[in-house]
Amino acid sequence: MTLSLTVNGEPRSLDIEADTPLLWVLRDELGLKGTKFGCGAGLCGACTVHLNGQPVRACSTPVELADGAEITTIEGLAPDGELHPLQQAWIEHGVPQCGYCQSGQIMSAAHLLATNPSPSREDIVAAMTGNLCRCGTYSRIVDAVESVVAGADQTTEGA
Amino acid sequence: MALNRRDFLKVSTGASGSLMLSLTLPGCAGVPTGYEPETGEWRPDAWLEITRDDQVYFTLARVEMGQGTYTGLTTLIAEELDVPPERITPRFAPVADEYRNPLYKLQLTGGSTSLATSWAPLRTAGASARQMLILAAARVWEVDADRCVAQDGRVVHPNGIDSLRYGQLVELASKEVIRGEVPLKPKAQWRYIGRHKSRLDAHAKSTGTAEYGIDVTLPDMVYAVVSRPPRYGGRVQSFNADEIRAMPGVLDVFEIERGVAVVADKYWRARKAQDALEIRWDFDEALALSTDDVFALYEQAAADDEGVSERQEGDFEAALQAGGSVIEAEYRQPYLAHATLEPQNATAWYHGDRMEVWAPTQAPDLGRIAAARVTDLSPDDVVIHTTFLGGGFGRRLTQDYIEEAAAIAYRLAHPVKVLWSREEDTRHDLYRPAMLHRMKAVLDGGELVGWHHQIVGPQILDWYVRNAAPAQYPWAPKFMYDSLGSVGLMVEGIATPKDVSAIEGAVEYPYQVPHIEIRHTHVDPGVPITWWRSVGYSHNGFAVETFMDELAHAAGEDPYQFRRRLLNRQPRHRQVLDRVAKLSDWTAPVPAGRARGLAVFQSFGSYVAQVVEASIDNGTIRVHRVSCVVDCGQVVNPRIVVDQMEGGILFGLTAALYGDITLDGGEVQQSNFHDYPLLRHYEKPEVRVEIVDSDEAPTGVGEPGVPPVIPALGNALFALTGKRQRTLPLRADG
Repeated sequence: MTLSLTVNGEPRSLDIEADTPLLWVLRDELGLKGTKFGCGAGLCGACTVHLNGQPVRACSTPVELADGAEITTIEGLAPDGELHPLQQAWIEHGVPQCGYCQSGQIMSAAHLLATNPSPSREDIVAAMTGNLCRCGTYSRIVDAVESVVAGADQTTEGA
Repeated sequence: MALNRRDFLKVSTGASGSLMLSLTLPGCAGVPTGYEPETGEWRPDAWLEITRDDQVYFTLARVEMGQGTYTGLTTLIAEELDVPPERITPRFAPVADEYRNPLYKLQLTGGSTSLATSWAPLRTAGASARQMLILAAARVWEVDADRCVAQDGRVVHPNGIDSLRYGQLVELASKEVIRGEVPLKPKAQWRYIGRHKSRLDAHAKSTGTAEYGIDVTLPDMVYAVVSRPPRYGGRVQSFNADEIRAMPGVLDVFEIERGVAVVADKYWRARKAQDALEIRWDFDEALALSTDDVFALYEQAAADDEGVSERQEGDFEAALQAGGSVIEAEYRQPYLAHATLEPQNATAWYHGDRMEVWAPTQAPDLGRIAAARVTDLSPDDVVIHTTFLGGGFGRRLTQDYIEEAAAIAYRLAHPVKVLWSREEDTRHDLYRPAMLHRMKAVLDGGELVGWHHQIVGPQILDWYVRNAAPAQYPWAPKFMYDSLGSVGLMVEGIATPKDVSAIEGAVEYPYQVPHIEIRHTHVDPGVPITWWRSVGYSHNGFAVETFMDELAHAAGEDPYQFRRRLLNRQPRHRQVLDRVAKLSDWTAPVPAGRARGLAVFQSFGSYVAQVVEASIDNGTIRVHRVSCVVDCGQVVNPRIVVDQMEGGILFGLTAALYGDITLDGGEVQQSNFHDYPLLRHYEKPEVRVEIVDSDEAPTGVGEPGVPPVIPALGNALFALTGKRQRTLPLRADG
């Protein structure tokens, strides 16, 4: 079927089997390799992207469900050449080890902050629990998210 | 390690006038470096290259799989070269003799050895380059070289004002000759070693731009998936090839040694075609065991064969007869999968007379062998491009995924990517072996006088030689590949002095006990096995440190004091033990409903003590806090040390709480993260890590965080419930 979707702000149309998971469309048709394949069953979160602002597991989302939707991937989280505050925090905190899960972790964290700008530590842990990390970077992840929350709070207070 | 600089350092000018240095690591004497003294020619795969426009390239010979070589090894160069680590660009090494790991004589990353084996040579390389740049600047200025200093990528004139960029000096520097030994910076002058805290790969890994094996894209690339026998050793009898070939996007379907390959223009089409694939398997020689059979086999072997003595001190039998109280215990540990988050994959391109392979591999030279084995190519015809690895943990030391990609690419005109599903990755792993440990000890009035440990299970090299042996014997014709290992060429003395994979961590039993006997009963059920983060230490750590806990309780002594007394000749063990007792408030009361457990263990030359605080809540084991003290000698990057400890702890807790690969009639029963779970965010305990300040040579940190946490948790559960669990994984109702 022919599909139209907006990916990282750019309209794209393609002709592909409707049941193809969004993950493979993003990676192999559109060349956006930052979104990773981990389990194919929505269990690990490595493929997390935003679909109309909601986090979804691209490995288990047939592309037909994305027809007409706006998709944001790790590549589109910040404008070209810029870093999202979470990405900046990830770098400052040296979060990634092997790094394979981190695109998905950042996309989950970005959705959390978009819906709850001042999450508690418990909120962060709860929001991130669907994202597995085999290297064990969970502490750094929570610290990095908290630092963005703290930074945003300071900005608000100063304004 | 004493290094003679002239023995291993080669210098030349690159094509664009850059300064290039090449090293031959100790243990590789006589290996050609590619440098031609007569012509001055040099192939451009040097360890270190400084260009005229001040780019510094460092060839990273140990792969980056999360453990931090990309940052840590670069920091060594940066320190001596006087360039901030961030200004150095690491490049993944091609396959070449000079990049072999001097301990294994193979180009592989494992055994927590990268920093230890690079410590002296890489600093010497950086220092040599710095010295040559200084000599060149001194010649330009006609001043005494001793009065010039290197600083942040420049050489500064004795007047403290003038300076020259390294890039301006490289052509001259490459012609300089250093006389005598190159002095390394004294510790007091270090700016990056022990202080550097950032990760050089963090930007790429936080923006989705780091390239892993799965991300490799080539022109006209096609995709392949492989159906492998559901029972190891099964063979393809027949399959519905015509039906599959007619499916959308399918380019071909054919049998390879490891199963049936489906090739399609798109990955998802290959998967859908695979769903329709009907294969008749011949299971005549296939694995038929169930997990219970494995342990029955071990029990039988343990009874029939007391095993090879691996360490003997005093006379354990006499101690047994002497009339103290005898304590016995038997521990069982399951098969474990690696579960790297990036599933196994490789991309191969056959060019008619040679092949290129892109892969996230821990052992690229063995990847060449794997590709050569399944084609008519020789290893020299195969080029391996190593990518970032989405986790390794030992899994990617075995090259089965490259074998598949090469076998498929050999029949295609296109480059092809082979990608495993998570289910395939779990079911067709090579596992941490299931093991049985029989322990026996003699207590005489509270004193531990005898220790007997019988380890029952397979050895990993029996499996690994098939991968490794041909790389060690380049003269061997290909028809010999499969027999090189079995004829024993590699097993003793040459590649490694001995296969210690089953006994490591048991033979180094550190406690001062007069009568010690360690034995290994070698029995192999035929289930594929390989290296798994911390290898033999992972199961021996549980056996030794759980039994020590049992003995402390039997002796009526505090588990910390009991160990401490017996470690009075082991200062490094004792130091981490004392410090973790303090860090964890060992003597303070535990919060209601919780208990603490302790373990101390040396592995890969590093000493780690951990205390776990746990409870059982609504039928679930909860780990609240882990305190950890590590002595890994001189620290290069303190943040990475902390991260590797914490990562090792979570890896160990995952094994302790969930890890269990089981077999039913030869079939692995687990498939994905719902039945082979990994620890999640909400289960993560508070982890506190302290690093011992040490001037000892650096030792590894990738693995040593794993072994102690497993017995420490078990010991905490015993303190909580009074019931001793001797089988892993641990259970809330155990």
